[in-house]
Amino acid sequence: MKSYKELPDDAGSNIVGQVTAQANRISKRLTSVQRTVAIMSGKGGVGKSAVTANLATALTLAGQNVGVVDADINGPTIAKMMGVRNATLEYAATGVKPATTKLGTKIISMDLLLTEDDAPVLWNAHSQKDAFTWRSTMEVSALREFIGDTDWGELDYLLLDLPPGTDRLPNVVELIPNLGGVIVVTIPSEVSHLIVKKSVTMARDILKVPIIGVVENMAFYVCKHCGEHEPLFSVEDTPNNAFQLTTLGKIPFDPKLSRCNDNGTPYLNEYPDTPASKTIREIAQKVQDFFQT
Amino acid sequence: MKFLCIDCDTAMKFKDVTRPEQGSVTAVFECPDCFTEIAMFLNPSETQMLKSLDLKLGGNNEAAQPMQMVRSQLETGKQDLMSDISSETGIGEKAEGGKCPFTSVISDAFEETAEPAEPEGLKWTPEALERLERIPSFVRPMAKMGIESFAKENGHAEITAEVMDAARGNFPAQF
Repeated sequence: MKSYKELPDDAGSNIVGQVTAQANRISKRLTSVQRTVAIMSGKGGVGKSAVTANLATALTLAGQNVGVVDADINGPTIAKMMGVRNATLEYAATGVKPATTKLGTKIISMDLLLTEDDAPVLWNAHSQKDAFTWRSTMEVSALREFIGDTDWGELDYLLLDLPPGTDRLPNVVELIPNLGGVIVVTIPSEVSHLIVKKSVTMARDILKVPIIGVVENMAFYVCKHCGEHEPLFSVEDTPNNAFQLTTLGKIPFDPKLSRCNDNGTPYLNEYPDTPASKTIREIAQKVQDFFQT
Repeated sequence: MKFLCIDCDTAMKFKDVTRPEQGSVTAVFECPDCFTEIAMFLNPSETQMLKSLDLKLGGNNEAAQPMQMVRSQLETGKQDLMSDISSETGIGEKAEGGKCPFTSVISDAFEETAEPAEPEGLKWTPEALERLERIPSFVRPMAKMGIESFAKENGHAEITAEVMDAARGNFPAQF
């Protein structure tokens, strides 16, 4: 009796061919994208999306063509932070036209497809019972379509804002095998370091993805009276020591930044001379330097 | 998956699919030598997994449409996006000619979820309908289907507020 390997195909479904075609859609789309960068943490609540949005703005203001994929399928925030929540996506044979900020950054996010503010991502299914068996697959397929089916045009940078979880980066690397680099976001707390270290191990040691460096968000706050740097958290370990990685910058906490994110206005434009704005621009410059060396 | 006709030691070929029942589809495979047929049943989870991967049994010769999986499967998606993809891909149409029949069959399974057929003879009291209307629109179809299935399984000919209370524990949506 013949074995599995001796049978010529899968009875005509050509599942391998279909999967290959899906991968080819991404490869073909990314030929017009110079660099892909994932912004990750592993830990929730450290400000990945805020860093992504402001980094995208900084790169755009530096004259780069930038796109952002909100890879947080269930908790999308990029569209709001970048002021494009009311944009209507346009569909064409060449792909979905992304939302575009006033500065020209291109955005794709699940938030742009949901019907109502309070609507969660809910997938069509005969039953939602046992949905844990397929929901993650749906999310990866959605991310595949966001990357591969968006008509990005020519981009210098495509940033991917990842949701929390050390398992997210492997999904991205499956979709983009030649991912250009990873930016790790943390806050100066031991709890954050504990989780972020796992993500660093995943990226550096297991997936062998280039790590551009670490961004320490909410690193301190600047006293508006005397200009002193006051800590918000009480961790002794520096990012360099904790992760053995280059620190791209330490972004101070600034309520104005949070307010701009809520309003969807570009903080770097509104408050270009604040310590946080300067740091974000320096981070953007280091990211560009990383790819030029 | 591959299928072998043991008698002929020949690889079987995909032949057809039958109508879905309760989200489950049946694919038929045939031996090209002796024409023996076998049926493969996909349970709803397997059917859903195939859908999640945006793969089609029997092959897929149609050109991919932008974000076709998201646009066709996002229950809480904007309606203009959802209806658009239906017309572009033929999802929901009956199989014709050389078109992969599984496309329509699997789509029928999805439609079954999106717009569940009301079981025959099952009535909703005005009070129950009022409570149904209070369920958020994006989960209402799922809740309605669940309540009707519960009522049918438990021998209720009419859906009342009491039946909804009894069904409540079985579903994530509150009503």
